[in-house]
Amino acid sequence: MGNKQTIFTTQQLDAYQDCTFFTRKEIIRLFHRYRDLAPQLIPLDYTNKPDVKVPYELIGSMPELKENPFRQRIAEVFSEDGEGNMTLDDFLDMFSVLSEMAPRDLKAYYAFKIYDFNNDDYICVSDLEKTLNKLTRNELSEDESRLVCEKVIDEADLDNDGRLSLEDFQHMIIRAPDFLSTFHIRI
Amino acid sequence: MDFRGSYAEGSAAGDYGYQGAPESLRLRQRLSAVPDQSSPQFNWNPDHTSENEEGSSDRQNLKELPLPMELKKAIRQVQQMKVPVVSGWQSWRRSKSKTLKRFREEAGGILAYVALWRRNLQKIGGHFGGGVQSYFLFLRFLVVLNFFSFLLIASFVLVPSIIFHSRSSGNNSNINISAGQEVCTYYEPNPQGLVDFYTYFIDLLTGTGFMEYSYLFYGYYNNTEGITNDFSYNIPLAYLLTAAFYSIFCLICIVIRMGSVIRVTVKTGGRTVGGYSMLVFTGWDYGLQGDRATKLKQNNIRYKLQVDLEEERIKLKAASLTLGQTVGLYSLRAFLNLIVLGLIIGAFICIFLATQFSQTNRETDFLSLVVQYLPSIVITLANFVVPFLCDQIALLEKHAPSTTIILALLRAVFLRLASLGVLLITLWSQITCSTEDGGTCLPCGYNHTLYQCWETRVGQEMYKLAMFDFLTVIAVMILVEFPRRMVVDSCSWKLVKFVGRQEFVVPQNVLGLVYGQTVVWIGALFCPLLPVINTVKFIIIFYCKKMTLFYNCQPANRTFRSTSSNFFFLLVLLFGWILAAFTLIYSVAAIHPSMSCGPFRSLTMMWSVVPNSFHSLSSSTQDFLHYIGSQAFSIPLFVLSCVVLSYMAALASVYGQSVSLLKAQLKLEGRDKQFLVKQIEELSLASRKRQDC
Repeated sequence: MGNKQTIFTTQQLDAYQDCTFFTRKEIIRLFHRYRDLAPQLIPLDYTNKPDVKVPYELIGSMPELKENPFRQRIAEVFSEDGEGNMTLDDFLDMFSVLSEMAPRDLKAYYAFKIYDFNNDDYICVSDLEKTLNKLTRNELSEDESRLVCEKVIDEADLDNDGRLSLEDFQHMIIRAPDFLSTFHIRI
Repeated sequence: MDFRGSYAEGSAAGDYGYQGAPESLRLRQRLSAVPDQSSPQFNWNPDHTSENEEGSSDRQNLKELPLPMELKKAIRQVQQMKVPVVSGWQSWRRSKSKTLKRFREEAGGILAYVALWRRNLQKIGGHFGGGVQSYFLFLRFLVVLNFFSFLLIASFVLVPSIIFHSRSSGNNSNINISAGQEVCTYYEPNPQGLVDFYTYFIDLLTGTGFMEYSYLFYGYYNNTEGITNDFSYNIPLAYLLTAAFYSIFCLICIVIRMGSVIRVTVKTGGRTVGGYSMLVFTGWDYGLQGDRATKLKQNNIRYKLQVDLEEERIKLKAASLTLGQTVGLYSLRAFLNLIVLGLIIGAFICIFLATQFSQTNRETDFLSLVVQYLPSIVITLANFVVPFLCDQIALLEKHAPSTTIILALLRAVFLRLASLGVLLITLWSQITCSTEDGGTCLPCGYNHTLYQCWETRVGQEMYKLAMFDFLTVIAVMILVEFPRRMVVDSCSWKLVKFVGRQEFVVPQNVLGLVYGQTVVWIGALFCPLLPVINTVKFIIIFYCKKMTLFYNCQPANRTFRSTSSNFFFLLVLLFGWILAAFTLIYSVAAIHPSMSCGPFRSLTMMWSVVPNSFHSLSSSTQDFLHYIGSQAFSIPLFVLSCVVLSYMAALASVYGQSVSLLKAQLKLEGRDKQFLVKQIEELSLASRKRQDC
């Protein structure tokens, strides 16, 4: 490929290539996308590993995420500080998991984290209601929302504790044929 | 194993040069109430046996770990520092596998780059979702299939014919004409004398006149067995075998594509039981961009949820009907089905009459264009009117919404393919004189007064069907969809807003594609250039449909799940293929070929060219082929395939049973966990009470 780029050292590129599902070219392209969010903040030279974060407002304004109702949760789950401010590592991680080459278990793990609004490692009824509101823009009536949440817990809860654990979630995802194609952002 | 503790050990053991403090990384994994349940475990001290594994599997596992990037990089450092003791052979293998992997990545990148219409499909999927995108993916599959079929036909039939025509070498074998058969060899396709200019335009649309005696149709090909300088090429044999291989090639492509789709369906156990949870957790398409698309998707999900809830209510109501009401409902449904059947049969009769009329009246003025296109017009009208009426009738049937959709689709599919079948049966009955007395068929074995070259006529009919289908798509787009959008956008009447913009209804569009492709398959034997015409037609349709999608349409409220609908599309395409295969087999094996044109003019049956050339093969090849065709080979083969099939079925049922066993085990473990947690709470309460006392 040739060492024409001066953004990363070869070791850094190799490390990124081994830790994500992207090739060298894609990593460089993603770096430029990241930098375009805040050109004054992000240096062009990452060889000495600067510690910079892009604030959540700029991440949430990316065209791929701008209209996604779950963009805040996505940024929170993948960011180091949990607030949505992402470093380049977080950024690459996020799009690597959301790319089409990531396996289903990896995606299911992160999807579970995204839908777990209160971060207690379980999707309980309140998490479900928040998910449903985001999915339907709050246009379901109270009764319908409650009915749907009950049905979801009925269908997916295997250990009968009234909330979904990671195993329940993963077991349900296995039976979903569309999950791989819907939990996918092209960038 | 506590993850955080071992990371601290690791950082003490080696210098990774990372300045990020470990504390900030811990923030990503919140303290959980039940420790170590969902945080991933990583074994820092693998046992000895794993060191001899391929490095690439380690790297693959690294990508799939659900850990933050810093931790993955740390693990990678640890992995690299472990230098395994490998022999020279293993290190060579590892470096080769590394280069192979890199090569595969580059090749994959290039392939994705040249894949046809990749950007367009991504844009469509992003704005309109997976259901609409599956239509365009299907269209792309058909374009590629037609293109490769054309390459097959061109290389084996077209190019040799062109070469032999231009060199005019090779001998046309003389056919033995018995006494009363001179009239059968009369064939004059070129128009006599001066023709009006507009006839060229008519000829372009109907395949007559200057287009009839050309490479386009069967009648132009000779039965040359071009023998030049120890090289012999048997054109009739090539023509027949190419047609056979083309059919089998298409079948293999469809089956392979179905196989990849079916694998997903079987894994998920067919009808999904967990409808609600599936919708809530996998319903949102993260790839959607644009405000309009997002709002529509949200409306879509809300609509689906409300429809599902409504279905539950209907089911509850249906279960609570009295016996009298149930009987009344079922008799109403039977009556309505009879009406639908009557409509369909009425459509068939219209098609039959139109075809007969069109075939028996052939003038050359402008009105004849309408007469020639009459079967196509009637088929298209029937395929528009009858499903519309069936939809209105279905409203009375009071089925659940999903059942209504499936029923409507089945009726539409049946109507489309069966109307083609009726057209073909009518044509065949006219060619073989089943509708008249046997007199006109006696000298030649086919109806020579009406059809001097019946294969070309059939080819022309298929050509007209394909052309009319194309013209209908363009006309509907220009005359219906664009004006509708302009009216809806500029007019502010309530009624107009209620009707709204055109919806891009995927199933009807896919049925149109299947219909077009079936026509091509049927006509390919008689019109060898039809696949390339179809390729161009589908490419134009792709761009037109894309344009109309973005300018005129709104996505339908009722969308299909893309994977199950993919399988359905391919299944319908397979039905079309079966219809075409029946037609081909019947034409090849049962009807007497024309004596005045075509590569089979000297034979009584198209198939007989194969046994005739069989005898020119070497004797060992003949013996081998005899053996394969005999019972000594086919019966053991049949028995073997039955054994393999039953083995596969047994394997599948065993997997199904183990899945349900594991599910039950999961449930029991959950209950055990709850029981143990309760025990622990009680014990701790009891010990605390004892401490207080």
